Amino acid sequence: MTEKEKLIIHPRPSSIVASLYTLRDLNVDVAILHGPPGCSFKHARLLEEDRLRVLTSAMDENDFVFGGREKLERTIDKAIELFSPKTIALVGTCTSMIIGEELTDSAAYAPDGVDVICVETHAGYANNTDGVISVLEPAMECGMITAEELERQRRLLTEATNVEIRHGAASKGYLAPSRGDIKYKAAEKLIELIRSGKKIVGILNAKKETAYMFADELIALYETARLFGMEENITIFSNTDITLGLPRVKEHAVNVMKAFDEQSVPVHEIIGGLDEYAVTAGNVKDLILNKYGGFDVAVIAGVPHALPMEAFAGMELFSITNGPRQVAPLKDMGHQHVMVEIDLHPQTLGVTKIVPSEFGDTLRAVATDVMAAEIGEKK
Amino acid sequence: MKKIIAIYGKGGIGKSSTASNIAAACAMNGKKVMLIGCDPKSDSSITLLGGKRIPTVLDVLREKKNVEKEDVIFEGFGGVKCMEVGGPEPGVGCAGRGIIVAIETLKKIYPEYLDNDLIIYDVPGDVVCGGFVAPIKKGFVNEVYVLTSGEYMPLYAANNICRGFNKIGMELGGIICNSRNADREKELAEEFSDRIGSKLIGYIPKDPLVQSCERDGFSVLEKAPDSEIAGVYKQLAEDLLANTDRVKATPLDDDALRELSKKYSD
Repeated sequence: MTEKEKLIIHPRPSSIVASLYTLRDLNVDVAILHGPPGCSFKHARLLEEDRLRVLTSAMDENDFVFGGREKLERTIDKAIELFSPKTIALVGTCTSMIIGEELTDSAAYAPDGVDVICVETHAGYANNTDGVISVLEPAMECGMITAEELERQRRLLTEATNVEIRHGAASKGYLAPSRGDIKYKAAEKLIELIRSGKKIVGILNAKKETAYMFADELIALYETARLFGMEENITIFSNTDITLGLPRVKEHAVNVMKAFDEQSVPVHEIIGGLDEYAVTAGNVKDLILNKYGGFDVAVIAGVPHALPMEAFAGMELFSITNGPRQVAPLKDMGHQHVMVEIDLHPQTLGVTKIVPSEFGDTLRAVATDVMAAEIGEKK
Repeated sequence: MKKIIAIYGKGGIGKSSTASNIAAACAMNGKKVMLIGCDPKSDSSITLLGGKRIPTVLDVLREKKNVEKEDVIFEGFGGVKCMEVGGPEPGVGCAGRGIIVAIETLKKIYPEYLDNDLIIYDVPGDVVCGGFVAPIKKGFVNEVYVLTSGEYMPLYAANNICRGFNKIGMELGGIICNSRNADREKELAEEFSDRIGSKLIGYIPKDPLVQSCERDGFSVLEKAPDSEIAGVYKQLAEDLLANTDRVKATPLDDDALRELSKKYSD
């Protein structure tokens, strides 16, 4: 390591896991991790809730020494026997890649009729987005995505990496986790602002399936405003373009838009796709500064640190993230109220409908109490 | 047909000398040639570069994340493009992984490297782990050659390497004998090649001129192009370029190999 290289000592998302999530977005049936049984265990289990079967070749000490090809091929056999998959991904891990295991040899072993995609990845890349690319490149080669989509994804991932370096998980050598501000207090403050007639922009800038919960924050915002007859002051931006992204990502956008509609929450502006949270900054800034203007408050759910502070000059910011290590960077940027939806991601895997959020429910509950108290006073 | 070859053989048998002289001979013949040294000692191309070492891929990678073609690929004698993989210090890290990483890097920084007429991978020692077959698996090698002498241990290593090729499904282009002045060495190498189902594609007699040129930092093709040994390398280069034979080797068992070695030492 050179002196110039920044040492980041808090654990961060793994490229192997990023590969698995990308395989899920491509609607691959089975992913076989070629490595030791504990590799990516927690996420593998979660992904099973999201229609991706994740298996392991369970390499052990002997396989580290002698190679694990035979075990990988036995695992392919078992996967076919159990799940009759149309597509299987063979996914590298640190172990198999270091010892030079050749995934393509085992891909050739799979019978006709089963498409196999080889993902040469490990957890040692500086940016976990490399894990996504290691899936998308072979996916393009075997016709699962177009060359244009690959280039689009490269652009998005480069910017996602830059966002993390600027204000995210890679912005400092160490970021302590935090649970953020007290949701009850933030809800009280937001309700006070709603009732005082402030103009509020609610922005969903979420990453893929996390939108199922982050959208609830904005639904709660709108419901609260409606309770006090102030919904005209609310403008909603959302990165739920139903035409953009890998197949599963488009499905999420359709579901979230349907939920907004069912709750009679108007979406005034679509600012991008659900995989475009890192490149929506320009749209958001342009809309706020040039089209709308005059907002007093912004409620931002998802990846608030991807949005530029110059768009929010003079505004009071309520930001909701799911990253405990994201609180400090957001506070440093100038976000006054930062709330964390703890364990959001596991709750949004495998769902197709809105998942209630803690801050959203807090907002609803406090608003109901305020309204009930006022009615009581009038009586 | 484009040739992408890898030369394997026991450590110290003369792979780098042979590889660099073949590269030089082909380049003198108007071919576009690239030599990729995979030995952590990073000395495969040194005699094509006037005795100078070049920065290795792994050294540059260790210093900075984004390696450029100009950082690691240098033109040597006859326009031969030279690249050295490099590797960790002895006793630390993983040299095999280093080869994998370097070949992936080569593909990124110089994707047109396959436009060369001849690409030679000079691979260290025995096929000791997965990384050492990376040139075959990931470097698009279409022919492999094994260098040996008539001595028992180099033959033993050559036989073992052929076993490794079978394991990974790679066919053998031929055997090259780099003489150590062992008894009836050429005959022995010919019989060994025949017994494993292949052929002796070249015999390089021992000549002190090779060592002398190397000491000065040159190939014999550059320093002594009219010498007899330069002619041997030229012929070997021609034969390699013309060779289309590839076979699945049939390695000998230990007893047979020992008997064969004894037969020529009596």
